[in-house]
Amino acid sequence: MPVIVVNLEDLRELLGRDVSIEEFQDRLPMMGTSWEGVTEDGFHLEVFPNRPDLLSIEGLARAYASWTGARTGLRKYPVEKSDYKVVVDTKTQEVRPWFVTAVVKNVEFDDPLIRSIIQMQEKLHVTHGRRRRKVAIGLHSLEPIEFPVTYTTKPPEFKFRPLGERFEKDLTWILSEMKTGKEYAWTVEGFKEYPMILDKKGMVLSMPPIINGEYTRIDESTTELFIDVTGTDLKAITEVLNVICVTLADRGAEIHEVHNHYPDGTVLTTPNLEPWVMDLDNDYVNHTLGYEFTPQESARELEKMGHGTEINGNVIKVLIPSYRADIMHPIDLVEDIAIGYDYDNFEPEIPPISSEAGEDPLEVFSRGLRNFLVGLGLLEVVTFMMSNRDKLFHRMSLPEEPICETDNPKMEAYDSLRNRLLPNLMEILSTNKHHPYPQNLYEVDDVVVIDPSTETGARSRRRLAITLCHSSASFSEIKATMNTLLENLELEAEVVEGGWDCFIEGRRYTAMLGGEPLCWAGEIKPEVLEKWELEMPVAALEMDIDKLFKKIYLEK
Amino acid sequence: MNPREVAERLHENERKVLQALSGRGTATTEELSRLTGLARDAVEKASDWAATKGVVSFKEEVSQFFSLTDEGSVYAENGLPEQNLRKLLVHGPQEIAKLKQTFENLNIALAWMRRNGWADIQNGVMELTDEGKKVDDSPEKRLLRALDKPTPQSGEAFTEDETPVLEQMVKRKLVTKNEETERSVAITDFGRQVLPELEAAESVNVITQLTPEMLVNKSWRGASFQRYDVTLPAPSLSPGKRHFISQVIDYIRRFWVELGFKEMKGEYLELSFWNFDALYQPQDHPARDLADTFYMKTPYSGQLPDPKMVEQVKETHENGWTTGSLGWQYKWDPEVAARNCLRTHTTSLSVKQIAKLTPDDLPAKFFSCGRVFRNETIDWNHLAEFYQTDGIVIGEGVTFRDMKGYLKAYMEGLGVERFRFRPGYFPYTEMSMEAEVWIEERGEWMELFGAGMFRPEVVKPLIGIDVPVLAWGPGFDRLVMQSYKVNTIKELYTNDIGLLRRAKLWME
Repeated sequence: MPVIVVNLEDLRELLGRDVSIEEFQDRLPMMGTSWEGVTEDGFHLEVFPNRPDLLSIEGLARAYASWTGARTGLRKYPVEKSDYKVVVDTKTQEVRPWFVTAVVKNVEFDDPLIRSIIQMQEKLHVTHGRRRRKVAIGLHSLEPIEFPVTYTTKPPEFKFRPLGERFEKDLTWILSEMKTGKEYAWTVEGFKEYPMILDKKGMVLSMPPIINGEYTRIDESTTELFIDVTGTDLKAITEVLNVICVTLADRGAEIHEVHNHYPDGTVLTTPNLEPWVMDLDNDYVNHTLGYEFTPQESARELEKMGHGTEINGNVIKVLIPSYRADIMHPIDLVEDIAIGYDYDNFEPEIPPISSEAGEDPLEVFSRGLRNFLVGLGLLEVVTFMMSNRDKLFHRMSLPEEPICETDNPKMEAYDSLRNRLLPNLMEILSTNKHHPYPQNLYEVDDVVVIDPSTETGARSRRRLAITLCHSSASFSEIKATMNTLLENLELEAEVVEGGWDCFIEGRRYTAMLGGEPLCWAGEIKPEVLEKWELEMPVAALEMDIDKLFKKIYLEK
Repeated sequence: MNPREVAERLHENERKVLQALSGRGTATTEELSRLTGLARDAVEKASDWAATKGVVSFKEEVSQFFSLTDEGSVYAENGLPEQNLRKLLVHGPQEIAKLKQTFENLNIALAWMRRNGWADIQNGVMELTDEGKKVDDSPEKRLLRALDKPTPQSGEAFTEDETPVLEQMVKRKLVTKNEETERSVAITDFGRQVLPELEAAESVNVITQLTPEMLVNKSWRGASFQRYDVTLPAPSLSPGKRHFISQVIDYIRRFWVELGFKEMKGEYLELSFWNFDALYQPQDHPARDLADTFYMKTPYSGQLPDPKMVEQVKETHENGWTTGSLGWQYKWDPEVAARNCLRTHTTSLSVKQIAKLTPDDLPAKFFSCGRVFRNETIDWNHLAEFYQTDGIVIGEGVTFRDMKGYLKAYMEGLGVERFRFRPGYFPYTEMSMEAEVWIEERGEWMELFGAGMFRPEVVKPLIGIDVPVLAWGPGFDRLVMQSYKVNTIKELYTNDIGLLRRAKLWME
């Protein structure tokens, strides 16, 4: 989630009040942000991705002034009529179809505003813009631009002078040589022609979402802006344009409309900073919050969150500001009321709901086993489910079989899910050689195996593994351990010679229950011990607990 | 204690040591080992015990041993360079320039001649002083010869007069000096009083270890038991024991059940549909990135569940369906939803549970406790898998205040004293909330877990009606770390056998 740096002085100036850092630290989280600490640049605040309007210091000041009651209700953002025209070429519709724009005048670019705008643009690109693919913003000096502006595409050999370069460069060079070109080339990968914004004279404003042209460079003397937002999602780019426009308007700028002509004849006039309307049933509010607000009280809290309200009986007509991107359901307005009223002010309550309670029977069964094994003097271990083929097969001298493997692991050592517990226990023995013996361990937990009959093609199975490791660990000891466990469950298994390859031949068995294998046991082969760098004999078993559970729990 | 009582308390080995000392009074542990027939460490242990009872004491003697260094060996054979030069000068002054060509080790010789004041140098000519003429080299010669042996020589072999010369050679690194400390055991006066009691104590048939035979043949009757020093340390045992995380999980299960919750279970390997889509997370949401989520190579994807419900989820994402929402307004792709992943939260179990319910099953309360996975590079503070426990309360009339009520109970159950709930953000909850604890040492709030009420866009497509659901998903690793004074999360899963054997029991 994006973290912004807020200069304390800038924020105080916008609020017109000498707010202490302690107040911000205490209150801003209750408004719906996360306090991340203070450095010499200011305080750091995490803004939730559903509130892009808070990514600028102006937006933060706007919300805080409302929420604390200093200036509540809907703010009006007038948009001046104009005849600025842009044309969207049909060629763009295949690659990056959406384009909205605005003209802003009377901008005073002092340091705090520049800082704030750059930060906001950067954070919007990362989060809302999904690293510029979904949304990209271009800010231009209006002065050189001759309207109409055209949004079109150009072939790779097309040349213009990108921002920060002394000479014209072709588009291929920009994508392969320039820093921002290389960083964002992935957003235009596979395009035959690249998106391009030009004015009437054919001068390039921008190659979205990669880089602007030198032609419309902004400096301290710039007072009039042309803003373009391009992207793959009209809703997202409109929200972003609105957020930027109201931020500049909060600094005293004038917003002018632009008419965007689409190839199908549609004309989108942007920005539209008028509020939109959603009806909110006050009963729904109280029903959800467990409170008894009157419609007037609910409306007051909504106004603290920047909304306009009109009350009609029990229904509140909510005028939602154009910069609020997150409202999509009345429940979002209910949350605004809760935040406006302050989460702290709701008394906790436990409802008298009686419902069936209890643990999962397999968990009860597993706990019984765990406690019994402790009585045998075994030490329980809890190991990772993620493993790898080397550990599961090669080091165990077991033949490879299909297992569940991940597609994109960051670490090769953890790229698969274990299909057995035993290898993990062997690993623990190998990392604990400095501790006194005997080291007799067990684990009761899940493994995951391939199973085409399930929804995903895999299934988890509960297993038990035991390793007995000391100078006289033997076959008879591990077999006695299994027998004792089964006796205490009033079960008897049929022992058949043979089993897993990690055990010494002639000293390994498979125990069968109802004609199906239940347990594999024996003395671990010296070659396997060697692979784990163990110099102590190990006798071990692994048991299918699902089978045991089914027998005990379901058949009784 | 009187001598008789002490005599009765002596272990067999202590008695042997004391008896061995009766004649000579003092002996080294090596000698005692020979005299008693006990191993050296048994003698040492018995002597230690005996010393605590005041019957013996220890004496430590330091002995010095000397031997020649390589340089010293050369001089033992050829003579010291300064002596050789001095002898040469006895026959008359020498020119330094000439000596440089003929005399070996001239610099060493010159340095010592000058330091000893044996010679003067004028205009490049060297001449013995009166002092130099009187020098007697026999003590040094004798010492070097005496030390020129294959084994080191004890310091006792040298006279007091020789000591300064010897020390000088040590300083000059011609001779090395080693010190050995020998511990010898001496019987004390009190020990001598105990000695005559030993026989009497022995003659009454003292039992060290009670054996089955003694019980069978009743030889224990009339015998006395050797008295133990009950304050002596005993070794620690290696217990069979539950892993501490496993103990904590038991506790958490019990905690939920006592609050009236029923356990839900599910798979680790899950459809993206259950992990994300059913939770109304849009398909381009950053949380679904490869960078955070493990997607499966095998099995790559699975079968979407009940087509009617899937259609409802799809519609909700695209346009809000009948939930009253605008939806995310994009084209929902069933293939993305069918992709298998490792669950990133146990909240996947919660939505799966809701999908299984019918309106008749309400109200209901469920919890889960299990592992979740994140595609992290493992280091001391990041793991690819860890535990989470989720809770949901579903039913008509359940409210935001109730959520605060349950979470307050949960926090108090965990023993957290100062906590607060602030607004948070999750794509699938509204109200969303973060539970925070106050960390006094740092003077700030720390996030503990997220909670919220599932959005209507989550609930209605799954169960068919809009009904409130409270949901929360705390991890508890931090809590366990704090309780076990473990500083890094990785230590929780290292399975160090030493730590497991001594880790305190979770007594809650």
